[in-house]
Amino acid sequence: MSTRSHALTPALTAATALLATLAVAAALLALGGYPPGDAFAALFRGAFGTWDRFVSFTLVRATPLLLTGLAVALAFKARVWNIGAEGQLHAGALAAVAVAVALPGAPGLLVIPAALLAAAAAGALWASGPAAMKTGMGVGEVITTLLMNFVALFMAQFLVQGPLRESRGVFNQTDEIPPAAHLPDLIPGTRLHLGFLVGLLIAVALWLYLTRTPGGFRLRAVGASPRAAEVSGRFRAQPVVWLAFLASGAVAGLAGGVQVAGVTHRMYEGLSPGWGYTAIAVALLARLNPLAVVVTAIVFGALSAGGGAMQRDAGVPEVWVRGIEALVILAVLTVDRSWQALAGRGSRG
Amino acid sequence: MAGALRLSGVTRRFGPVTALDEVDFALAPGEIHGLLGENGAGKTTLARVAAGILAPDAGQVEIGGEPLGAGGVGGARALGVSMVHQHFSLVPRFTGFENVALFDAAAWTRRGMGSPGYRERVEARAEELGLEVQLDVPVGRMGVVERQRVEILKALMGETRVLLLDEPTAVLAPQEVEGLFAVLRQVARAGAGIVLVAHKLDEVLAAADRVTVLRRGRWVLTGEAAGVSARELAEAMVGAGVDGGGGGVGGGDAGGPGTVGGGGEDVPKSGGMVGEDAPKVGAAGAEQAPEPRAGDDVEVARLRAVTVSTGGPIPLRGVSMEVRRGEILGIAGVGGNGQRTLAAVLAGMRRPDSGEVQLPEEVGWIPQDRSEEGLVNEFTISENVALAVHGSDDYRQGPWLDWASVGETAAALVRDMDVRADSPATPAGVLSGGNQQKVVTGREFLRSGNLLVAESPTRGLDVKATIAVRARIAALARSGERPPGVVLISADLDEILELSDRIAVMVRGRLIPVPREDHNPTAIGERMLSARGDAAP
Repeated sequence: MSTRSHALTPALTAATALLATLAVAAALLALGGYPPGDAFAALFRGAFGTWDRFVSFTLVRATPLLLTGLAVALAFKARVWNIGAEGQLHAGALAAVAVAVALPGAPGLLVIPAALLAAAAAGALWASGPAAMKTGMGVGEVITTLLMNFVALFMAQFLVQGPLRESRGVFNQTDEIPPAAHLPDLIPGTRLHLGFLVGLLIAVALWLYLTRTPGGFRLRAVGASPRAAEVSGRFRAQPVVWLAFLASGAVAGLAGGVQVAGVTHRMYEGLSPGWGYTAIAVALLARLNPLAVVVTAIVFGALSAGGGAMQRDAGVPEVWVRGIEALVILAVLTVDRSWQALAGRGSRG
Repeated sequence: MAGALRLSGVTRRFGPVTALDEVDFALAPGEIHGLLGENGAGKTTLARVAAGILAPDAGQVEIGGEPLGAGGVGGARALGVSMVHQHFSLVPRFTGFENVALFDAAAWTRRGMGSPGYRERVEARAEELGLEVQLDVPVGRMGVVERQRVEILKALMGETRVLLLDEPTAVLAPQEVEGLFAVLRQVARAGAGIVLVAHKLDEVLAAADRVTVLRRGRWVLTGEAAGVSARELAEAMVGAGVDGGGGGVGGGDAGGPGTVGGGGEDVPKSGGMVGEDAPKVGAAGAEQAPEPRAGDDVEVARLRAVTVSTGGPIPLRGVSMEVRRGEILGIAGVGGNGQRTLAAVLAGMRRPDSGEVQLPEEVGWIPQDRSEEGLVNEFTISENVALAVHGSDDYRQGPWLDWASVGETAAALVRDMDVRADSPATPAGVLSGGNQQKVVTGREFLRSGNLLVAESPTRGLDVKATIAVRARIAALARSGERPPGVVLISADLDEILELSDRIAVMVRGRLIPVPREDHNPTAIGERMLSARGDAAP
């Protein structure tokens, strides 16, 4: 009869987790001999110090995290543990470059949608193998999506060293895509491109889908309890799993397409510093809420943008930022659990 | 002589629920003591307190005269208490022998499992107990009976003073029960006291020397098994007369079923769960089953020679039945005789391998397992209602799900079903079992324009919730001009007799009709327990 909720509100959890992270990071920095205040100040200046730092660095770096974060959140919402956003992103980037390079004279209005659609399709295709293995044979998608990441990375490596190598033949990278295929700037005078807006629109669309439509409701039901969804909802869970898997792959693929069309304008080895993995933290910190993913992606974008400044101004190696990212994940998980444990004590022994 | 086990004034609470209320219990060495009570009476809690799994909030536990204190499971084991749980705790990939050895310190040396001579001791113990255990077969490949034997052998490897068995017969077919009891008698002869937790009267009377009845967490009676009748025990368990048109279960306790009703007639979207003409449920006993009313016999569902033999452990073998409007067809039987498969077929979720099926387009189905199947625990009440209505055009606005309408329906459900919740936005997972079941029941009523399948609808509920849910199901079948037909699948004979107009028994995948003159516990029980099903027409 008790209706007391045992969970913190998502925003409070995220804030507590971030504060805990800062506290632990400060302690570690102090132990490592770096004044935490200086380090954090440099990080903050690098991320938010000026309008240009914020827009051209933080938001630009947040864009691939936003899209892959949404991809992960959507999949996890359906209890599809897609760890393969990294690979799907690479597949998308390759497809976008291939399409853009193949259409040299085409106008932007044609080539940009074509390249982005190709990226989404390639991401979905990359996810379809693990999806088929999961639904058809019950093979756990954590392993298969993770392994497909390596396949994608090595495939990208092979392609930029061989078949798709630039015509100059100097670096292991593709030719630059034609200027018509470059994403237009979102805010003139900055480096922020249309891809960020695409990410925002997808976030809103996903939120509406999950909370307001019958299809999104089914997806959440399957994610919360596949058995109850089938027995009480009277629909088959499998098509829903397929949909979530492919859509997640498509959005992650789009992240790759947006990155090459908006920022790098070509494909090369090491395009992503692991966005597809950081995306898991982005999605979890947002408690899988697409609108909250916008915020958490910007937080992680700021960490990335500020990391360089921290190294330059405070002499703290940038690798510390990776450590802070990992701390965020640990903090989210522990804050949530320990609160539940605290609240649960007493009412149940 | 010190008793094997003594509980004095033991109280144990779970949140607001008092599962054991100052209960005294004594077990003598060498006796089989049946512990009886309805679901939720506190039997399992008592056993778990005795086994040290749960610490009592008040009172004392003594084993062989020594206080258990705060010893926990380890302390209880050291004093010679073993428990066989209702849900086995075995490692499926390990063999029978490995499972026995895993929890027995005597099997281990410093280097690992394989204490010299241990295997021989296990074999000797099994033989001594008359337990045929397949020691070299992985448990995952064993049947339920074999698994249970492994569990029992595991429990009895050490020095055992007290053996607690929680519902050991629930998973067994009637003819397998006797084999279990033979083993238990053997164990008792060797001097151990045995507590047999059960809710089936006849079984307990057959095996036990003494019986104790709990009702709603309180001790009710203890007596010699030879000196009490099944009827006395049944009355003690439910707290009222069980037959004759008496007060019904727990009479008067919950304001009676007369509080049901109050919905509109033909308002599909908001409320209208049950009609006004709710009968007294307790009165619809065995002798007073209402005659089918004129015009009632409109068939809403029909099965002809339905056979399901694939994709599940319990097949259906040539099941034929029809369900008419306004009737409750009770299907009795020991759990695991094909009832689950039958429910899935009736709900349209399972396609038979052969036979003919005619079903309404939409069927209400109260599934057996409300927390795994009936509800999404982290969803709100509204969202759980949406599981039933999200596909309907009435609850859509263009591409959008109309949450406002869903919320109205959920609010009406909360009101009509008397769900104790703050609002329809309350997560289902925080509700009590009874309120959860009311939500499931109310939601499935939305689908029950023609047919409702209610599978063990009151399992695990307290008396009050049981009365409420039964009353609403009874009222549904008598509601309005075109009431639905109801198929009530239950292992609870009292429930079947109380609610059903017609009765059939499910045995080993076959459905045996019970003629009206045999609508009494003895005649139905005989069919449930002794019939093999093969002899059925």
